[in-house]
Amino acid sequence: MNVLEVDDLTKNFGGLEALARIGFYVQPGEILGIIGPNGAGKTTLFNCITGFLPFDSGYVIFDGHELRGKKPYQIVNLGLTRTWQLVRPFFGMRVKEAIMVPSFCHRARSTHFSKKDREEAIVGILKEMGLGNKLETEVDNLNQGELRVLDISRALVTDPKILLLDEPFSGLSHREVENVSRVIRNLNDQGLTVVIIEHRLRELMKLVRKVVVINFGQKIAEGSPEEIVQEPRVIEAYLGQRRPKIGLG
Amino acid sequence: MDLKRGLARVIENQSPFGLLILVAMALLPVISDNIFYIEIVKLAAIYAIFAMSWDILTGYTHEVNFGVAFFIGGAGYFSGILNSFFSFSPYLAVPLAALAAGILGIWIGYLTLRLRGPYFAMATLAFASILFKLSFIFYEFTGGEEGISGLEPFTDDPMRDFYVAWVVMVVVYFILCIYARSKHGIILKAIRADEDATQSAGINTAYYKIEAFAISGLLAGIGGGVFAHSQMHIGPTMLSGYLSVIVVLLAMIGGMGTIVGPLVGAICLSILNESLRMVEEYRIMIYTGLLILLIYLAPDGLINLRSIKNSRILSFVFLGDRKST
Amino acid sequence: MEILIIGSVRGALYSLIAVGFVLVFSVGGILNLAHGTYYMLGAYLTYIFYSLVFGSGGVNSLILSAMLSVISVGIIACLVYNILLRPHIQSITYVMVMTLAIALFVSEIMSLLFGISGTSVPSLIEGSISIGGVKVINQQLILIPITGLILPALWFFLKKTKTGQGIDAVAQQRTGAILMGVSVEAATFITSGVSASLAALAGALIAPVSNVVPEMWLFPLIKAFAIAILGGIGSLVGSIIASFVVGYAEVLSSFLISEQLTELVALVVIVLVLLFKPSGIMGYKLG
Repeated sequence: MNVLEVDDLTKNFGGLEALARIGFYVQPGEILGIIGPNGAGKTTLFNCITGFLPFDSGYVIFDGHELRGKKPYQIVNLGLTRTWQLVRPFFGMRVKEAIMVPSFCHRARSTHFSKKDREEAIVGILKEMGLGNKLETEVDNLNQGELRVLDISRALVTDPKILLLDEPFSGLSHREVENVSRVIRNLNDQGLTVVIIEHRLRELMKLVRKVVVINFGQKIAEGSPEEIVQEPRVIEAYLGQRRPKIGLG
Repeated sequence: MDLKRGLARVIENQSPFGLLILVAMALLPVISDNIFYIEIVKLAAIYAIFAMSWDILTGYTHEVNFGVAFFIGGAGYFSGILNSFFSFSPYLAVPLAALAAGILGIWIGYLTLRLRGPYFAMATLAFASILFKLSFIFYEFTGGEEGISGLEPFTDDPMRDFYVAWVVMVVVYFILCIYARSKHGIILKAIRADEDATQSAGINTAYYKIEAFAISGLLAGIGGGVFAHSQMHIGPTMLSGYLSVIVVLLAMIGGMGTIVGPLVGAICLSILNESLRMVEEYRIMIYTGLLILLIYLAPDGLINLRSIKNSRILSFVFLGDRKST
Repeated sequence: MEILIIGSVRGALYSLIAVGFVLVFSVGGILNLAHGTYYMLGAYLTYIFYSLVFGSGGVNSLILSAMLSVISVGIIACLVYNILLRPHIQSITYVMVMTLAIALFVSEIMSLLFGISGTSVPSLIEGSISIGGVKVINQQLILIPITGLILPALWFFLKKTKTGQGIDAVAQQRTGAILMGVSVEAATFITSGVSASLAALAGALIAPVSNVVPEMWLFPLIKAFAIAILGGIGSLVGSIIASFVVGYAEVLSSFLISEQLTELVALVVIVLVLLFKPSGIMGYKLG
């Protein structure tokens, strides 16, 4: 059974059709990439799926639940968590406070019953992500890569079944990208389903096994990285912006 | 639940300066017999209750509440009516009034907290103004412009009355400290920093905002009830926009989002206000002008000044912050 | 008939006040809670100029006093913006609190100078005329033609002159305007002055026939806000229409229900609109 099904999803902004009958499926344990030129509607897609933007028609079904009309926090508590394109730190807090926030949600509280359990789990996640020694640091003092990792750590605290990452590599150095990639791959190996929007195609194609391509709010291609790269419609969509450097084919 | 941990965290993070002020106030009647001074400090304590209760909502969510007077005056009148029409004892009337205020807080919070920024602020101002107008329209119950007089005080002795106010203030202070350091406070801070990201963390932000509003209303209501019975009179000034703004200014000048800041700010400035009585005619003007100046110079409040935060010693003394590095 | 005329007078009055309020909000992002104060100062300053400077004298000195008052308020508003608001303008909280504190401060000064009972200002045009069998006070009536001149002039300024177009650009599309080299600060500066002057004009005109008291700043402010959210921020025409809607609503409710409840109308409007028209205006983020 598919863990996430998006069917016929349509979203209009006034006269502009941001999403036009988009559909794709995600299977459990999959690691899926979503790519497309700027303005194609990728983040709008995420916003609709995660409840931050209401959509006009279509279906989003996660783990058997219809997500339409649900509030973002309710969707998180069902097991679908997202991160954001621009890092969203909780400025003015320490790391250990910031990472406690998601642990207060229903889902996290029902996974770990005692407070002690929860705190150990949080510290464990931070250590695995490489932030173990930064507990007392103010969020304001972290660098971009660390903020990105903190975002992902916070997402993990909600104990998700599927993680939606919006441009996790943006603004990172090569080494930081490798680090984050490795973390994502490990999580996926442990059974977490992942969907990633990205622009840095070279790094993305190394990570994912299936790709969905979006342009002008429509799905124009779907397949493995190797197939996508040679698909004429995809090449045409990117032409005029820049040639995708993917190092394949 | 969080209580034990919250308590531990509160005790270890106490602001020494805040505690000093609390103790100093308690010692005042021991040092001085002068009823005049005691009344001044009693009033200051009540304003501190107002300011602290305002802070837990606005200081921690940055949604500016301009309608504190709604809860202060509303509870004050309710308690006054219970006392003068129905002969409830103040010890019963005030908690009931505060409870009513808290419940109204839930309702109004539910209605208004879906609004952001200036819209929320104006909505709170509108609600408070409606109640203000209503108190004139229903003058048979509320005494119109003159309010209700002859309310029963808590005790017969002004000294004991002072301690009643002091005890309430201290209790409110500690309740808010515990609340602020608990998960509720952390979530509010997160909402303040980034509400969408907090939603993404699976938190029902609307609930926590409404809860903060209700608690803010309830505690402001307690303050209002205590005020009414300690002055033995409640009038439309306690519902006025002026009161709301003064409370906002006191809390902001003290330092939003700290609980200690509003405590200190309200007490120091209220005492200052009363000591300006020698120029009674110009008092309000000078006081308001001074508040404007202070807000201009320190928009984040005095306790939140950069110079305090950056200094290890000062940030410990005033904020109770122990820095690790 | 009476309703029609009085409603129009009110609508005209409110539109002078509300348009400025909406303008300064959409251009500068400033929720100017001292806007009602500018209205109040228009009334009080007219009295001050008239009685102090001219002593007595005919209609001409009155008109001059009114004009001086309007100009002074404009200048005051520009100063307030430049000195008090600009340094911390990015914090909405600060702007709201500061302008509200200023409103209280000025109200207190007026109360000291003139006391809490009403101050009376002589009328520009005495007497009343009869329209359709209804007696209308002239002073109230002149609001309509004056507004009828001023508002189109404002529109002309915003749409046809270079400065005005710059200001309009900032109101509609801030980022675009900045990219085109428009100075947001200059635009806000000018708008503050113009907006306050309009409010002061309203105050000066209505002063002879209304209650000039130190509290007269609060309810016009609340009504301006009600009109702003009813008519849509950033839409000049919307605010004008909304002003008349509120004006008529008040007059109707005072006729049909009770005199006292008219003041509540605007408040109820605010509450109802804010609560039942959530999307669109709500969650509107500035800048």
